[in-house]
Amino acid sequence: MGQRLDEVVTFQQAVKDYGPKVIGPITFSVQGGEIVGFLGPNGSGKSTTIRMLLGLIKPTSGVVRLFQKDPLREHVKALAHVGYSPELPNLQSFLSPRELLRLTARELGLDEETNTQLIDILEDVGLVQYADYKIAKLSKGMVQRLSVAQAMVGTPKILILDEPMIGIDPAGVVQFRSMFRDFVKDGGTIIMSSHILSEVEALCTSLAVIHSGRMVFRGGVEGFIQQSLSSRSLVVEVGLPGATESLVRRISSMPGVTRVTPNTTGMLVEMKKEVDSRAEIAKAVVESGSPLLGLHYSGSELDEAYINAIRLTTQ
Amino acid sequence: MRASRVLTFARYEARRAVARKKVLALVALTILIGTAPYYLLDVIHTSLVTPPIRPYMWVLGVFLPQAFFVQFTALLIAAGSMSEEYEQGTAEVLLSKPVSREEYFFGKYLGGYSLLVSIVTLDAMLSVTSATFVFGPQMGLGILPLTVLSQMLAASVFYSVAFMFGELMRRSSLSYIVSASVFFTSEVIGVYLNVLFSLTGSGIYRTANLYLPTSSVDSLPLLLAEPKLPSVVLTILRFGATPVEPSVLVSALLILAYTLTAVIVSLAYFGSMDVAKRVT
Repeated sequence: MGQRLDEVVTFQQAVKDYGPKVIGPITFSVQGGEIVGFLGPNGSGKSTTIRMLLGLIKPTSGVVRLFQKDPLREHVKALAHVGYSPELPNLQSFLSPRELLRLTARELGLDEETNTQLIDILEDVGLVQYADYKIAKLSKGMVQRLSVAQAMVGTPKILILDEPMIGIDPAGVVQFRSMFRDFVKDGGTIIMSSHILSEVEALCTSLAVIHSGRMVFRGGVEGFIQQSLSSRSLVVEVGLPGATESLVRRISSMPGVTRVTPNTTGMLVEMKKEVDSRAEIAKAVVESGSPLLGLHYSGSELDEAYINAIRLTTQ
Repeated sequence: MRASRVLTFARYEARRAVARKKVLALVALTILIGTAPYYLLDVIHTSLVTPPIRPYMWVLGVFLPQAFFVQFTALLIAAGSMSEEYEQGTAEVLLSKPVSREEYFFGKYLGGYSLLVSIVTLDAMLSVTSATFVFGPQMGLGILPLTVLSQMLAASVFYSVAFMFGELMRRSSLSYIVSASVFFTSEVIGVYLNVLFSLTGSGIYRTANLYLPTSSVDSLPLLLAEPKLPSVVLTILRFGATPVEPSVLVSALLILAYTLTAVIVSLAYFGSMDVAKRVT
């Protein structure tokens, strides 16, 4: 099949035919160490793709491999180092978090000596004080935390997280982000489906975008924005005396700059997508005598790029 | 297939079943069935219990629930075993771990079955204890272990049938209704066939009755116990059920055939089908 050895996930022309709806053919791969943002509108096939990967559903045709193994036929070997947190964490409400993690550990073939590890995991997700509460009594956010916790039990090398940040409070989001980064730093890989694009932008190193059952993009975040937007918006924040008329004129005259809109904090510079004038703009601001406080692409670029990509695919 | 994983799922299933209120209600009912009739008989109709029957009163509590209560319990435990995991969306998390479907399947099957076996055993123990307490020392207890074992085996038929419908339909209420319908239909047809046989003497009705699942289930414990019990006790027992099967062997073979068929069908279906996302 010509897979690379560091290829953790492989889809080759994988199709799931539900009859009235067909997902695929899907072809993409994930290398070790990536944090892949898996994007797509509701019903686009994200869950089906994830479930094929986990060996929960059988592809009608094509090849799916997890650590170079067939997740259906070699389920035990393929899933040995996989942690999965589903979109709707329907966990056993009659168990306590401690009992659920113990059940998970037993499923993984780990013995009682992992008790300390289980407590550490509950500590990591901020649930240690609720270790013996019944899951039925936990809030939605806590259940979400627990869902991620059970995915972390054992020695996962890949985390497959379906909407992991839903219902999590801001402190929890920061905690999870840092936990996921540490996981990847230690050699792990993450595939994360999410509709919170700011989260994807902050965390993911690459994207896989699916729409109507087809993979419409696979690559870096920057590449996706470049591909999907016709122009890019650069936020330029300057200190007093602010954006002077001469500075606005100078930036407007730069090649590729299509529009400059002054605002209270500086200006918004719109540029053609293939042009990167950030260095020139920074130089112009400094030379104008205004302190440069910030220079970054507009925070909503991924949202715009995503909406554009989906619109273009639909057309 | 690794025994440790099967055991993990068996323990999980027993724990899950106990957490369901209806199973707790069944345990309460078992306690009631195993005790209340004795105390009622003692208080209300002591004269009905003649001296020859008194040492065999344990037989009532052990045998009479066999026809309905034990089978009903089996249906209730098994119908939701697989289906509720789909309904609650917990199956996908359990099966996204490195466990084989066979380990999950047999673990759940054995976990629920062990609960059923516990209920059958509890009923027998309570019956013997209550009978002893109310009517004095009991006799013929040597057949009790074999009787309880045969009840456990017999209960596997409708346990497996309900387990199978739970997997095939993936809806707990539907699987319970269908498996209960199979049970009651079989019981009712059995009664009709018996009546027709009595009226016409035609062997075809008797033969047809032999192959009903309820016939072998009801017959096995009685066939095993009959040779060891006095006739006065057997007369009372036959108010509850009469053995239809010609022998212990035929009865046991039919039980095994029904049980294995249901297990094989459900395992084959489970092994080949997708694990459903939460069924709503």
